[in-house]
Amino acid sequence: MRDRPPIAPTATVKAIVETPVKTWKRVRKFNLWSWIILGIGLIYFFLPLLATFEFSLRAIKGRYSLEAYRIAFSDPAFFRSFGLSMLWAILTIIITLLLVLPTAYWVHLRLPRLRPAVEFVTLMPFVVPAVVLVFGFIRMYGRYTFMVSIPILLIAGYIVLSLPYMFRAVDAGLRAIDVRTLTEAAQSLGASWPTIIFRVIFPNLRVAILSGVFLTFAIVMGEFTFANLLVWPAFGPYMELLGAKEAYAPQALAVVSFLLTWGSIGLLARIGRGAPGQGQIAGAR
Amino acid sequence: MTTSEKRPMSRRDFLKLSMAAGFSAWLASCAPKAAETGELPVTMSMDDLVAGATKEGELTTIALPHDWANYGEIIETFKSKYNMKVNELDPNAGSADELAAIEANKESRGPQAPDVVDIGVGHTANAMTKGLLGAYKVSTWDSIEMKDPDGYWWAEYYGVLAFEVSKPAIENTPQDWEDLLKPEYKGKVAMAGAVDKSNEAVQTVMAAGLSRSGGDIEKAPEMGLQFWKEMNDAGNFIPVIADIGPISQGETPLAIQWDYLGLANRDKLAGNPEIEVVVPKTGVIAGPYAGGISAYAPHPYAARLWWEFVMSDEGQNLYLKGYAHPIRFNDMASRGVVPQEMLDRLPPAENYAKATFLTVEQLQVANKYIVENWRKVVLGEG
Amino acid sequence: MSRESDIRLGTGEAPVAPPQTPKKINWAWLGVIPFFLFAIFFLFLPSATIFIRSFEAPDGSFTFENIISLFTKADIVNAYQASLSISVITALAGAIFGFLLAYAVVLGGLPAGIRTFLTTFSGVASNFAGVPLAFAFIATMGNAGLVTRWMETVLGFDIHATGFTIYNIWGLSIVYMYFQFPLMVLIMAPALDGLRREWREACENLGGSTAHYWRYVAFPILMPTLLGTMILLFGNAFGAYATAYAFAGSFINLVTILIGAQIQGDVLFNPGLGNALALGMIVIMLISMIGYAYMQRRAARWTR
Repeated sequence: MRDRPPIAPTATVKAIVETPVKTWKRVRKFNLWSWIILGIGLIYFFLPLLATFEFSLRAIKGRYSLEAYRIAFSDPAFFRSFGLSMLWAILTIIITLLLVLPTAYWVHLRLPRLRPAVEFVTLMPFVVPAVVLVFGFIRMYGRYTFMVSIPILLIAGYIVLSLPYMFRAVDAGLRAIDVRTLTEAAQSLGASWPTIIFRVIFPNLRVAILSGVFLTFAIVMGEFTFANLLVWPAFGPYMELLGAKEAYAPQALAVVSFLLTWGSIGLLARIGRGAPGQGQIAGAR
Repeated sequence: MTTSEKRPMSRRDFLKLSMAAGFSAWLASCAPKAAETGELPVTMSMDDLVAGATKEGELTTIALPHDWANYGEIIETFKSKYNMKVNELDPNAGSADELAAIEANKESRGPQAPDVVDIGVGHTANAMTKGLLGAYKVSTWDSIEMKDPDGYWWAEYYGVLAFEVSKPAIENTPQDWEDLLKPEYKGKVAMAGAVDKSNEAVQTVMAAGLSRSGGDIEKAPEMGLQFWKEMNDAGNFIPVIADIGPISQGETPLAIQWDYLGLANRDKLAGNPEIEVVVPKTGVIAGPYAGGISAYAPHPYAARLWWEFVMSDEGQNLYLKGYAHPIRFNDMASRGVVPQEMLDRLPPAENYAKATFLTVEQLQVANKYIVENWRKVVLGEG
Repeated sequence: MSRESDIRLGTGEAPVAPPQTPKKINWAWLGVIPFFLFAIFFLFLPSATIFIRSFEAPDGSFTFENIISLFTKADIVNAYQASLSISVITALAGAIFGFLLAYAVVLGGLPAGIRTFLTTFSGVASNFAGVPLAFAFIATMGNAGLVTRWMETVLGFDIHATGFTIYNIWGLSIVYMYFQFPLMVLIMAPALDGLRREWREACENLGGSTAHYWRYVAFPILMPTLLGTMILLFGNAFGAYATAYAFAGSFINLVTILIGAQIQGDVLFNPGLGNALALGMIVIMLISMIGYAYMQRRAARWTR
C-alpha cells in the first residue's frame, strides 16, 4: 500500500496516500501501549506468585532450598488426587459442552426469548452457596447408592459451577461470528444439520470454546467444597489437608499446581488448535 | 432480538416451573424421620461393644485433624487396637458442618454420614434441639467433669487460650493481655478466626474481657470488646486469620490460639520460625470440646466403642500427648496414671489452675453479645 | 420462587409470535431441554431449600424474622452494601483493564505467542482464589511481605509506618482483580477476533479517526459481549468468599462471609438467616439481570 505511483494530488488521492502512513504510525503507537499494558499486567500477576515461590523456598531456616518441594512431591496422594481431578475435569468439560453448545446455539438462532431464562440459570451458581447445593444433593439423591458410589453428584456439581463461564464464552463466540448468515448459507448449499453444526459453526467457535474449556478445567482442578462434602479424593481437598497440617509445603504445592494446571491448559490449547492453517472463516483477523 | 425477546415465558417453561414448585412443596413436607429403631442402651459392656463393632468393621469420623490434640495417634491406636477401619471425613469441618452432615445424611447412612462428632460445647444445645445425638454413658462417666446429665454429650478435652509468639520477630514476649496493647506489637497481633465464625476468636475476646474484669463473667464480653477496640485503634490488631501459613510467613507473629494448637505448631515448625507459647497470667479461659454420637449413626456399636476408648485413661493420655488437657485430668492425676514426662512437656500447671470454665448457658450469652456488638464497638460501624 | 418472577420480567409489549414452522421449533426445543432439565434437577431443586428455609427460625418454626432482618439489621445492610460495592468496583475495573489487556494481545500488534501465553495463563489465574490467593497477596504486600521488605531494605521506606494497610475493601478489591482480569481477557479475546479488519479499513477510508471507529463501530458491536462479561465479573465477585475470609475475615463484612458464619461457623447457628441472606443474593442477582437484559436488548438491537 505504500508503493503507490505518483498521481496528481487531489484531495481524495491525498487522503488515500496519507492513510498508509497514518496506519503505520498508529500501529507503532499501539504497539508501545500494548507493551506497557502487558508489562503492568505481568507485574501484577507475577509478583504474588513470586512472593509465594520465595516463601516456599524458606522451608529450611536461614537459606533457600527446595525442601518444601521435596516434601510435596514425596506424597503419592499428590499425584493420585491430581490425576483424578484431571480425569473429572475432562468429563466435566465434555458434558458441559454437550449441554451448553446446543443451548447457546439455539437460543442465539431460534429462541431468543429464552435468553433471559438461560442467562439466569447461568448466573444462579454464583449466588447459591456451594455448601447449600451439596447438602441439597445429598438430601435429594443420597439415598440412591449409585449416585454416591460413582461421582455422578460430584461431576454434576462441577458442571453447575462451570456453567456461567462456559456459556458466556460460547455466547461471546457466537456473537463474534455471524451465526445466522453462516447457517443460512450452509442451508442454501444443501447442508444437513449435523454438517452445519459440526463442520460450519463449531470450527469457527473453536477459540471461544477453548476459553470455556480452560476456565472449566481450572475450576474443577481447584474445587474444594463438592469434593470435600461428597468425600471424593480430589485435588482440592488434598491441598486443603496439606495446608492445614504443613508449613511451606502447601505454598510449594500452590506453585506446582499452578504450573501443572497452566501446562495442562497449554496442552489443551495445542490440541484444540487442531491442524495448522485451519483458520476461522468468520471473524478472522 | 427485538420484540420476540420480550415475549412472556412459554407454556413449556411454566410447566417446568410448576414441576419445580411441586417438587419443592414435596421436599418441604418431608419431615425428618424418627430416630432409628432399636436404640442401644445407655450403658453397655465392653464385650458386647467389641463384638458389635467388629461386625460393623468401620467407624466414620468427622472434623478430626491429625495434628489437633493428637487425633492422628488416637485414630491410629484405635484402628490397631480393635482392628477397625476408620473413614475420616472433612478434617477441617467446623462444629456447624458436623451437625449439618448428620442432618443431611439422616436417610442415607452412607459413607458421608458421621458416627461420632467433636463439637464446641456451645453447639451442644443446637444438637440437642434437633435431636441429632444419641445417648450413651461411657464406663468412666462419673469422673467426667463436664457433661450432659442424660448422656447425650460430654467434654473430652480442653485447652486454654495462649499467645503463640514467633521469635525473633517478637523480641519481648508478652505475659498478659494488657501487654498486647504496647506499641512494639503494632500490626502484629492476630486471631485464629473471624469473630462471627470461629469459636476460638470469640473466646479470645472473652478471655481479654475476663482479664480486664478480674474474672467477672458477666462483664467480660463488654470489656473484651472494649479491649479489642483499643487494639484496633492502636493498629496492633490485624485481621489476617492466623493459621500456620501466615504464622510461618511472618505476617502474624503474635497469634492467639488454643495452647495445644500453638504447641503443635511449635513442634511442626521446628524452629523455622521459633515459637514460644505463653499462657497469659490473667484471663485464662478453658475451651472444652464435646463429644457425641450421631442419632443416625450407620455404625452405632463402633461409635460407642470409640468413646469407650477415647474416654479411657489410655485415650485421655493420648490427648495429653498432643498438649490438650483431658477432661478427666484431675481424676487421673490423683490416681497417678499421668506419666510425668507428659506433664513436663506442658506449660506450667499454675496457669491452668486459674482456668475459667463457662457453662453452656454462659457461653451462649457471651457469644451472642460479642458477635452482635463486634462490628459496632471494635470497628465503629453503625 | 425466583424463576417464577423471571416469567413476568421482560414483558412490556404484546407477545408477537416469530414466524416459525412447527418442525423447526421442535428441533430447537430438543436442543435446550437437556440444559433446562439439568438445571432443574441439579440446580433449582437442590437449592429450593434456600427459599424454604429462609422462613425457618432457629427452633424450627415458621417466621418472617429472617427476611425482615435483611432490611433492618445494620450488620446485614452493611454487608450487602460492601458486597455490592466490591462487586461493582471489581467488575468495572476488571472489565476496563481486562479489555485493555485483551486488546493488547489480540489487536495490539504483539507477537502471537504472547496471546497464547496470556490466555492460557488467564485460564489458571481466573481460578486462583481462596486461601492461596490471599496468602500470595499477604506475602507480597503485607506487613512482612516481599515488596514491603524490599522497599525497606532497598528504598529505606517503611510503607506501613504511614498507616498504610492492605486489609480493607480497597486491598481486597486489588486481590479480587487477580481472577477478574483473566476472566475478562479469556472471554473478550475471541470477541475481539470478531472485529473484522475490513470494518476498520472502511472506517478509515471514509475519513474516520480511531475515536470514530471505536465509538461508532467497534464498541457497539462489542457491547453485548462486554455487558455479558461484566455481569459475569459482577457475579464472580459477588459470590466470592474464601479469599475475603482468609484475607481479612474479621474486618470485612460481606454477605458471603455472613452466610458462612451462619451455616458453617462455630459460633452462630441460624441456618434460616443464612438461607435468607442467600435468597437476598439471588434476588439481587435477578435484579441485576433485569438491568443487564434491558441494556443487552438495546445494545444488540441494531445487529438484527
